[in-house]
Amino acid sequence: MTALLQVRGLTKRFGGLLASGGLDLDVHQGEIHALIGPNGAGKTTAIGQLAGEIRPDAGTIRFDGQEIGHLPVHRRVALGLTRSFQVTSILPAFTALENLMLVHLVREGHPFRFLRSARQDLGLQRQARDSLAGLGLLARADIPAEDLAHGEQRQLELAMALATGAKLLLLDEPMAGLGPTESLAMTEILRRLKRQLTILLVEHDMDAVFALADRVTVLVSGQVIASGPPDAIRADPAVREAYLGAEAG
Amino acid sequence: MADNRRHAAVLGLTFLLLLLLPQLATALSKPDLLTLGSQIAIYAIAAASLDLLIGYAGMSSFGHAGFFGLGGYVVGILAFHAADNSLFLGIVPGLTDAWLVWPIAIAVTALAALAIGALSLRTSGVSFIMMTLAFAEMLYFLFVSLKTYGGDDGLGFRRRNALPWIAPRDDVAFYYVCLAVLAIFLIAMRHLVQSRFGMVLQGLRQNERRMAAIGVAPYRVRLAAFTIASAGAGLAGALNANLLRYVSPDSLHWTMSGDLMVMVVLGGAGSLYGAVLGAAAFVGLQSVLAQWTEHWMIAMGPILVCTVLVARRGIWGLLAGRR
Ligand SMILES: Nc1ncnc2c1ncn2[C@@H]1O[C@H](COP(=O)(O)OP(=O)(O)O)[C@@H](O)[C@H]1O
Ligand SMILES: [Mg+2]
Repeated sequence: MTALLQVRGLTKRFGGLLASGGLDLDVHQGEIHALIGPNGAGKTTAIGQLAGEIRPDAGTIRFDGQEIGHLPVHRRVALGLTRSFQVTSILPAFTALENLMLVHLVREGHPFRFLRSARQDLGLQRQARDSLAGLGLLARADIPAEDLAHGEQRQLELAMALATGAKLLLLDEPMAGLGPTESLAMTEILRRLKRQLTILLVEHDMDAVFALADRVTVLVSGQVIASGPPDAIRADPAVREAYLGAEAG
Repeated sequence: MADNRRHAAVLGLTFLLLLLLPQLATALSKPDLLTLGSQIAIYAIAAASLDLLIGYAGMSSFGHAGFFGLGGYVVGILAFHAADNSLFLGIVPGLTDAWLVWPIAIAVTALAALAIGALSLRTSGVSFIMMTLAFAEMLYFLFVSLKTYGGDDGLGFRRRNALPWIAPRDDVAFYYVCLAVLAIFLIAMRHLVQSRFGMVLQGLRQNERRMAAIGVAPYRVRLAAFTIASAGAGLAGALNANLLRYVSPDSLHWTMSGDLMVMVVLGGAGSLYGAVLGAAAFVGLQSVLAQWTEHWMIAMGPILVCTVLVARRGIWGLLAGRR
């Protein structure tokens, strides 16, 4: 079976620093594939290249049977690939509802409608409410996004990524800054998503990773040092030494 | 709700005052008020179009006067060729009918903005400000060097563009034309900022990376906004040339771009209607201060600073409240 996302030889240098040292990665349809590694290993840089924000120096990226390495961010979104950010990225001055209305209107493909009011558009409002309801944010619909709690903002960002209709989500540390209860809630949300779509999950919270992941790839200094099922990764001596050792104790 | 009523009240009072300005001018026997009123309406159009960029799209264009002046020169050059029955570039005959000249002024400005925007928008932040400034300066020097059209001295013409049912020398009628164009322009802009396009634009101001990650191509959207806003400046410039029956390179100098920015900030960026108040405050202050000293800008500076410190959302924010 060919993978939904197939990465070969992905290479990125920042000056003398090799942030991606020829990465190979296969993400299969319907799985949650975790990408873990210590700080500075190159996880965010890898996500940036897959999403189309950072231009790789070399390598190929195939998504859904098509080479996408040359496409700009918005074209990749149209194909069904989008990301979330390590530092929460939402539209702070818009309400939660407006944040999602914007996603749906872009998805409908009419960003160039100049005269009809968008805010009064009942169809857009309904779709946006459905999206918010999906993540339990409906009660917060009319709150400006900047006034939401941090955990709610992370959920809002996830709701936005989902509303694009993505087949593959690239999630960059969705639990970052969340308390233990919120982390558990987020883990539960991701587990529910598993049936509908495919996720490449960058995450430091090892409880979440091992609760969710079907496969784990370990990145250290821009190199893949191991890739396989969670149990095998947990048992891998090289991984324990390089990374898990410190945290797993 | 209370806020909405306050908005409507401020807006309604402003327009009522503008509607009655000719009667006021007669009653006070101050005929100059009429010219000031036309100037306010015209600057308000230019400032509102600039507010679309600064206040809604978060694009600080410092070349807006380039398009304002260009619109004026379309009027002036077509009037020049109409007067001596010659051809512009050997092909285009002169024209004096408003219903032809004004759309041409808008179209020419929009095309220039499309080209200038296509290049300037490859940059962002300070580079974008410098690029727009540089292109406006190029237009400035282009018109300074065109001796046929008066060069430095500018280009005067005898008659305003012809409008149906309106006598060309009727200053009151021309004032109402400016006011009507302003009203139509503001209604169109209100629809624009509340449309899908307007929402996308405001999203780009807040967070470009997020917008790209939901599938927006930022460049195309910004280029469309830049073109629309600049065409608005071209329309204002065409009216301005008609008011003065004169165009000069001054109208596309960078100081004019600065004046328009001052109007936007005074009125309250991102409020659209604030542009009217900003233009009124600017024109009013300028005419009062100019009687007192020719270096009126020296006094304008501190007033601007105080306004911004006291009312971060400008005069509109002060009068109409939040948003
Ligand atoms: N734009 C950049 N310019 C220079 N160095 C960068 C840039 N982005 C990331 N780096 C460096 O690349 C390495 C990998 O960073 P990153 O991908 O953010 O790691 P991770 O997400 O795994 O913590 C780090 O050493 C970081 O300092
Ligand atoms: Mg990171």
